Parts: sequence; C-alpha cells; structure tokens
Amino acid sequence: MTQYLIMCPSLTAAQKTQMVFERAGISSAVVKAPRSLYANGCGYAVSLYRGIDRAKELLRKNGIMHGDIYKRKENGEYMLLD
Amino acid sequence: MLNALRTCASPGRGGHEAAKRAAEKVFACRESAAALFNVGDSSKVVFTQNATHALNIAIFSLTNAGDRVVISGFEHNSVTRPLNAVGAETVTAGTKLFDSEDTLRDFERKIPEAKLAVCTHVSNVFGYVLPICKIAEICRAYSVPLIVDASQSAGILKTDQERLNAAFIAMPGHKSLFGPQGTGILLCGDSGRPLMHGGSGSDSLLPTMPEYLPERLEAGTANVCGIAGLKAGIDYVRKTGTDRISNYETHLRCLFTEKLSGVKELVLFTSEADNQSGVVSFSPVRGDSETFAAELAKRGICVRAGLHCAPLAHKSAGTVEKGTVRVSFSPFNTEKEVLTAASEIKNIVHNH
Repeated sequence: MTQYLIMCPSLTAAQKTQMVFERAGISSAVVKAPRSLYANGCGYAVSLYRGIDRAKELLRKNGIMHGDIYKRKENGEYMLLD
Repeated sequence: MLNALRTCASPGRGGHEAAKRAAEKVFACRESAAALFNVGDSSKVVFTQNATHALNIAIFSLTNAGDRVVISGFEHNSVTRPLNAVGAETVTAGTKLFDSEDTLRDFERKIPEAKLAVCTHVSNVFGYVLPICKIAEICRAYSVPLIVDASQSAGILKTDQERLNAAFIAMPGHKSLFGPQGTGILLCGDSGRPLMHGGSGSDSLLPTMPEYLPERLEAGTANVCGIAGLKAGIDYVRKTGTDRISNYETHLRCLFTEKLSGVKELVLFTSEADNQSGVVSFSPVRGDSETFAAELAKRGICVRAGLHCAPLAHKSAGTVEKGTVRVSFSPFNTEKEVLTAASEIKNIVHNH
C-alpha cells in the first residue's frame, strides 16, 4: 500500500486535520514528520494510505492550513505530490 | 487525571504511544472547551497555568507603556497589576455596584479615547454580573479590542467567543469549570505575543516561537494531568448546562440572603436587579471580616474574607476599610448546607 504524508504546521493542526478526515471516514494517523521533509526541524504530518484525493478535497473545502503532500515510493524515498 | 499521570508522556515531544495519548488528551480538552465557548477553531484555545497567566498574556499582547486602558471598577489584581507593570494609563469605568446602566454609560463615555478595554464578566467579590455583551458591542463600535476576565463566569454564564468577538477571554480551570488548580484557558481572537519562550515541539530550528496558535503561546511542557482533569470538568458543565448551574447557584444565593435579610448586625450586598451570580458578600457591622470568617472556619464553613485580591472592587463599593466576607455557592452545595451557614452566621452575630 502507498503511504501519503500531509505536512502540517503544528501538532494541533495535524490533529485537527486528522479529525476532519476521521469524520469523513478516512483512516489516518498523526505522525512525527521525517526530519528530511521538514526544514525547520520537528514537525508533524498526517499519514494515510487510502483516500488521498478525497483528503485533498477536504483540505480545500475546510480551508485547512497544511504544507506539502508527499507520496512514499517503494524504495522508501518521499516524492513531492503537491 | 490518575490515568493520565500513569499513561501519558509529553504531547508533541515524541512519536511513541505515550506521547500520542498525551496529545490526544490535550486535543480532546481543546475541542471540548471550543464547543463550550463557541470558538470556531480549537487552535484558538490556549492552555495556561491559571487565569492570571492568561490575563498576563492578553494584557502584554495588546498594551504598551502609556496606552490608555479602560477597566471596570470591579477588576481583580490580575488585571490591574499587569496593567501597572506595563505602564498603562488605566481609566476606571463604572463604580456603582449592581448598576448596569451606570457601568454602560461610563464605558460608552471612556472607550472612544482608549487603546484597550479590560472587563471582568462577574465581580469576584460581589457577584455583580457586568453587561459584558453590551460593553463588547461598544468596543466593536469604536474598534477598541476587549479582554474579558471570565474567571467568575466561565462554566456558569454563557460565554460565547463568536458573539463577544473579544480579543481575548481568560479563565481559570479550577473554579466553575471544575478542573484542578494549575489549569487555565485563554480564548484567543488575536494571535497574541508570547509571554514565555521555549520548546513548542515544532519548528525547533527557528529562534522564535511559532507564529501559529496554540503552540505560539504554550511554551514548555504541558500540564497533561491537569488538562485531563479540566476536560472532565468541562464535560460536566456541557452535560449539565450553564443555565441549570446558574439557576441553581442563584437559588442557593437567594435562599441564603433571605435567611439573613433581617439581621441588622450585617450589611448584605445584594442586587435588586437580575445581575448577581451565585456569589454574595456581607460585612459585619461590628468587628472585621477576617475575624468573622475565622469564626465560620471553626464551624467548618470555608469562606474568604478581606479584600479578595480586588481592592478596586472594594474601593468602588466603599468596603476597602473592613473588607467583606464572601460566600459563593456551587452546584455541589445543598440547601441544607446553605441553611446551616446562615444559621451559624446568626449564631456568631448574636454570641460575639
């Protein structure tokens, strides 16, 4: 399964994002962002494996502030999606 | 709280289960507080050590030396001292106890010249419920930011951030939100200026606190156990309803004052209008308030006497020399306790 990471500006922002997804039936988790993806050091992301298109729509619809979205490749590297 | 103490680490400081549990507890309390106080975005609910801490953040965020700040005549030292420390020029509006019209007229007169208004929702000494919604309207009309001290009202009276549109609303967790001591909340309509700087769990390479709430104003380790307790208290208030709590406390206060109304040796501070909460002050005609409260303490009745950290309120009411004995009721008090308290007060008056 493919993992997607939605970068969030803070822990609370990540939790709010996850809550919106959960209410829409999208399973996701708040995780610490990989260090390589976060320039300012210590950040958070919402990780999900299914429903990325619907998730992006919810982000737009709800005006949720977020950072880049990454797709994790089979070799473990992260590819910038948006 | 005990469960949090045993199972939670520090939120936002690790990716392990104990840190996640802590983060979930804190977030759940934030959401619950946002629902109770009608805050659209729970990120604007900031946890503090107490109401004083919250008020200090609010006042230092919006005030500079020399700024003219309008305050009510019933403010606590947690408002007047930070304003004094920042070097603000404070102007008092409304000093007539239980006179809402006078309070409004005075605010209306003084707000246009002010940089900021700070107003308590309810006097901690007399239970005077100030007309905060109308004061907020005046502030909006003149684009003057408003800080509300909701220490005595949060959990009892409707405190609606969307309606008040206040710059900040500050409150303790341990009073009518029934949380433990050492907890407080600041509802933010403004991004605020951090009072403390330090770890925020994010953006660690930046030399400054983050720009975003709530992390911007929550430096250092969170009081997770306290916040877990506060969540339980807020949930109790939401389940019970502020109207029900307020009505019951008012009922107990009326019962109390009815039993003491004929006692000539006491001065009771009660309102004839519908603007008093479940708090009532009285002062003995002979002797001082502290001695009277000490006699009540011997009988197992715990009340506070003196100036209640609110000398301005006592100056306004003319009680600064002797102070008052303050009795406050909660939803956990019974009519029997109220009657016992009234009876013991009469005994003290007649036997001393």
